[in-house]
Amino acid sequence: MSGNNVEENANHASNSKGISLPMTRVKLIMKSSPDVSSINQEALLLTTKATELFVQHLALSSFNNGPGKDQTLLYSDLANTVEEKETFQFLTDILPKKILVRDYLKLLEENPIEEADN
Amino acid sequence: MDGDSSTTDASQLGMSGEYMAGSHYVLQSQDDDGDESLHDHEEGNGSKENFREQDIYLPIANVARIMKNAVPQTGKIAKDAKECVQECVSEFISFITSEASERCHQEKRKTINGEDILFAMSTLGFDMYVEPLKLYLQKFREAMKGEKGIGGVSVTEGLGEELTDDSFGKWGASILIESINRRYLPPLVGLGHGGEFGI
Repeated sequence: MSGNNVEENANHASNSKGISLPMTRVKLIMKSSPDVSSINQEALLLTTKATELFVQHLALSSFNNGPGKDQTLLYSDLANTVEEKETFQFLTDILPKKILVRDYLKLLEENPIEEADN
Repeated sequence: MDGDSSTTDASQLGMSGEYMAGSHYVLQSQDDDGDESLHDHEEGNGSKENFREQDIYLPIANVARIMKNAVPQTGKIAKDAKECVQECVSEFISFITSEASERCHQEKRKTINGEDILFAMSTLGFDMYVEPLKLYLQKFREAMKGEKGIGGVSVTEGLGEELTDDSFGKWGASILIESINRRYLPPLVGLGHGGEFGI
């Protein structure tokens, strides 16, 4: 029985509950938080469902925020939404705005930065 | 976030990729790795040899599908946007879990339960999810009870095809549009049917 099989089964079970995310994987992520000992089924179910809602919420907010060219949702739309909406501000650190390497190099030349460790 | 996956060392800049993230300057590799793996994310970046537990992601196909269902039909989604949401999702899960776990500890309990999760969401600014989730849970429980009562008859037969992934996606999206626009959550219909429930 391969890992893929297990995931498929988890997916199938998930689908029958009206969820389209693998709960086993969600559980794994939850358990990677420090000091988490155990999680009951209800908590896992709610978290998985909430995660779905979150994806929809984030995608939709970003899309409405300013569709990129051709109605495409771009990374920059996400970054902007995270900056502007309070609800998503916990994502600021993992969603920094991107700049091109050459612009960064220019920036470094102009402003030598002493960066403290984050 | 700690800095072991980012670098401000100019000598590494030329290595890969066009983009770098501002202010924390995270290198963006150009590798397009389409494989689905546990980490399911760019692994071409040589500066990350050990995956931290936080680097576990949900499969990008699932995430992308939910996103697709949420945006208007004609909308497309850039690949790096999908990957980004993938990361955000793991962050969200951790975010909620930490808060729930803390509450659990404060009350000297060891197992995180549903209430802890809902409370955490409320505390962290996701209170708009709480009502839909409560309703979902209620319907789910009813469905489970029903199944036990009837004794093996599949609940899906009773509840029909009302809830497929896609229909929930659109329902979910419309709920959220409403709440985003009006801060109001309309009553929910036809949520969640149980089939086999085994984790």
